[in-house]
Amino acid sequence: MDGGSFVDGLMLSLQPINIFWIIIGGFLGTVVGMLPGLGPATAVAVLIPVTFGMDPVSAIILMAAIYYGAMYGGSRSSILLNTPGDGSAIAATFDGYPMAKKGQAGEALAISAVASFIGGLIAVVGFIFLAEPLATFALKFGPAEYFLLMLLTLSAIVALSIGKMVKGFLAMMMGLTLSTVGIDTQTGVYRFTMDIPHLSEGIDFLIVIIGVYAIGEVLYNLLTIDREKKEKKKVGRVWFTKEQWKRSKWPILRSGPIGFLIGVLPGAGGSIASMIGYTTEKQISKKPEEFGKGAPEGLAAPESANNAASVGAMIPLLTMGIPGSGTTAVMLGALVMLGLRPGPLLFEQQPETAWALINSMFIGNIVLIIINIMLVGLLVKILDTPSKVLYPIIVILAFIGTYTLSYSTIDFFLLLIFGFFGLLLKVMDFPLAPLVLALIVGAEMEQNFRKALLSSNGSFDIFFSSGVSIALVILTIVSLLYPLIFKFFKKRSRVNNPDQASKSS
Amino acid sequence: MKKFGMIVMLFLLLFVTACSSSTSSSAEYPSKNLEIIAPASPGGGWDLTARSVENVLSSQNLVEENMSVVNKPGGGGEVGWKHLESQDAHSLAINSSLVLTNNLLGQSELTYKGFTPIATLATEWQSLAVPPDSKFESASELLEAIKKDPDSIKIGVGPGLGNDDHLSIVQAASEFGIDPSQLNFLVYEGGGDVVTALLGGHVDAVTTSLSEVKDQYLADKLNILAVSSDKPVEEIEDVPTWKDQGIDLVFPHWRGIMGPPDMTEEEIAYWDEKLGEMVETDEWKKVLENNDWEGFYKNSGETKAFMEEQHKLYKGLIEDSGLVK
Amino acid sequence: MKAIKLSVPIFFILFSTVFLIASFNLPKANLGNPNAPIYFPAGLSIIMLLFSVIYLFQELKKLHKENKYIKEMLSGRTPKLIGFTLLLGIIYSFIFERIGFLSSTIIYLGALLFYINGVKKWMVNIIVTIVFSFISWYAFSVLLGVSLP
Repeated sequence: MDGGSFVDGLMLSLQPINIFWIIIGGFLGTVVGMLPGLGPATAVAVLIPVTFGMDPVSAIILMAAIYYGAMYGGSRSSILLNTPGDGSAIAATFDGYPMAKKGQAGEALAISAVASFIGGLIAVVGFIFLAEPLATFALKFGPAEYFLLMLLTLSAIVALSIGKMVKGFLAMMMGLTLSTVGIDTQTGVYRFTMDIPHLSEGIDFLIVIIGVYAIGEVLYNLLTIDREKKEKKKVGRVWFTKEQWKRSKWPILRSGPIGFLIGVLPGAGGSIASMIGYTTEKQISKKPEEFGKGAPEGLAAPESANNAASVGAMIPLLTMGIPGSGTTAVMLGALVMLGLRPGPLLFEQQPETAWALINSMFIGNIVLIIINIMLVGLLVKILDTPSKVLYPIIVILAFIGTYTLSYSTIDFFLLLIFGFFGLLLKVMDFPLAPLVLALIVGAEMEQNFRKALLSSNGSFDIFFSSGVSIALVILTIVSLLYPLIFKFFKKRSRVNNPDQASKSS
Repeated sequence: MKKFGMIVMLFLLLFVTACSSSTSSSAEYPSKNLEIIAPASPGGGWDLTARSVENVLSSQNLVEENMSVVNKPGGGGEVGWKHLESQDAHSLAINSSLVLTNNLLGQSELTYKGFTPIATLATEWQSLAVPPDSKFESASELLEAIKKDPDSIKIGVGPGLGNDDHLSIVQAASEFGIDPSQLNFLVYEGGGDVVTALLGGHVDAVTTSLSEVKDQYLADKLNILAVSSDKPVEEIEDVPTWKDQGIDLVFPHWRGIMGPPDMTEEEIAYWDEKLGEMVETDEWKKVLENNDWEGFYKNSGETKAFMEEQHKLYKGLIEDSGLVK
Repeated sequence: MKAIKLSVPIFFILFSTVFLIASFNLPKANLGNPNAPIYFPAGLSIIMLLFSVIYLFQELKKLHKENKYIKEMLSGRTPKLIGFTLLLGIIYSFIFERIGFLSSTIIYLGALLFYINGVKKWMVNIIVTIVFSFISWYAFSVLLGVSLP
């Protein structure tokens, strides 16, 4: 790290015009993050024409602010309405929505904003001191390591479905199967596309998210909509309690670095980061049975992780010119248009630009926590909207979000199919997360597995050939055995305290 | 329920009548807003090309009518071009060699003949790159090693077989006397992933656009063995072309623009004039420079001939590659 | 009720069977191992088939148990509500590109609100429909520059 450029960059990012863009970007990011289907990638892409006339430094600051702003916003709708706006916000539904249902919506929103903030700060500090070594570390991830990382994610998902293993597994299989639709990258063969050109690039996981979560949730609520009580729903306070903070403190501090590291890996991203953040906390928690029922740490951990991941994703972009996620890919294209080429030469030739961005992320996170805390009071009012008005509006937002994905009404039919399917799964008490997360990682998992075997000429040794891969194998095994261990300990504690066990069961 | 139905009907009637737009035809071209179709999502290469063209044409007041970019992603251009087919002459679409290869690979019914060629705008060059510590110092050494044992060399390519990155190496290999269907490819999601794989040492060589690897080369992170241009490329003059190494190969990775079928002479002439002016502006030159593209302007007539020639070339390459049997 | 309970496992069984058959009918790859594209989907559908059969038996075992959600789904006007929302969604998909975003959205949202919220609250319905449709059109089309039809 070089002190002079750091200060130059700080001054540059503190220019009023750049502060202005940070605020605009952060606010816009929060808003698009909240809407189903609209994510940071779409927001950055539609803003490209706006950036044409801008200074490249301001442009990159604006786009980055949208990116992490969306990480803040993404969980708002997860918590309030059980409808995540993006893959990285799915984990926030696990405990965020139950909290809101318990009348702790305000607390949940506040704690997730603070968790995002701390996760973001941890990641920016990590960025300043570790960018170069981490970029080199990320290069060690070859096809075998990526396959194992995806496998770890899936095993974490399975571990989540304790108690309904068969259903969790079925949902996961469904997700994996759907991920095979489209061109098989390795051979160019078209799989299950039914001659619809639109399907050749696969089924967009965002459509499935919007379908099963947003539309599914609306349909599910239609079941009881006529019998809804008139009384005002409790929304709780707009700040969290000391007790909640005590429980969340360490999970936030642990998940930040985890999310950051995963974010650095090109292609991994926020969905995997928040999932692994969540399951790690659940596995080491003393009260894992409270997870999924509104445990504040179950919300704080993934929130911290996904915001840290969005900062981490900037590292391969800035140091190598390699986009690590959909959003950074769009950013790269837009920056190139402006004559700014992120890559190995950026820190040498324009260090102040790079440092201006890094510093702007500091400022941006501060701006965002202020925006988000101020929004808590306003957002909980959403719950006061009569649901008979709210749900039709969500349906329309879901359609618009879907349209912005690929500008085609074919996706609307997919949306409706997945919406109805989501309703059936909810009614039959299936977990939805395995379906969506398996769809997100499925294609990459298969392709990396095959690439690994192709590069080793068919030998399976490649999966145990590096320190990273062995570590991942061990983590996967631990994560898979975890349900067994969990059962074992539960049994033992039941033997030890027979009274308590009989009371609770 | 009855009341409800009535209201729905009322709504329907009201808005269907209010919104049935009238289209008028006139002899003057262009007579209404123009649109450029980017057959890709916002932020992708085709989208950026479309937006650059639109930006230069309107900011330089070359075209006075309103212009907009419409995104129609899907099927490697198929969805956007299919849409273009049904439009009138006020819509144009960005294209590239995929308009030829999709059909040759049997993935699309659309052919380049079904559209009106308007112009070829710019090109990038292809490159063959290896890690800095690779034992191969020239392209012929690498090809020699592939000739001996094709399985020993893994080549990274993305985002799919049959694209220019892939076909350029197919052409080089067959010029060198290697059966290109014996080449070993690891297919990655995109150009960035290919470079990551190379930097991490997970593949032995990659074939990709020059712009993906140029900065890495300047920073000594990898070595470029050959570029597909006809003469050395600025900034990296020390990198040899394929021709320099005795392999007869010039491979442009071009982007162009085309219109719907059956455009009139006047309409084509309009674009020849406007785009001919556009490529001379400083703004367009700036676009080329920022993107590491090279000016490759061909007017409608030249583009027509170029497409036919390219079609022949690609047909041969795809047969050689072993992708189609 | 029983029919719905069983329809989900049966759907999974059918889905995996169809997928399995389709996997084996996939075109062979011309480069590399010709069966490479088949292994993964075929393997998946076999495992999925297995699990769906297990699931079917699980459901059969507790067939007599009451599922209150299914009960809700079949009672009162809920089946109509769900069917209506989906049906209107299909109509919306067809008219969206033909008559444009604004008018189709006003129709869809208006109809949904009138049906779900009731004709009595027509004032709220109309205001919400018009205001929301215009705001979303303005936000997306004008502010964000998304090309809506």
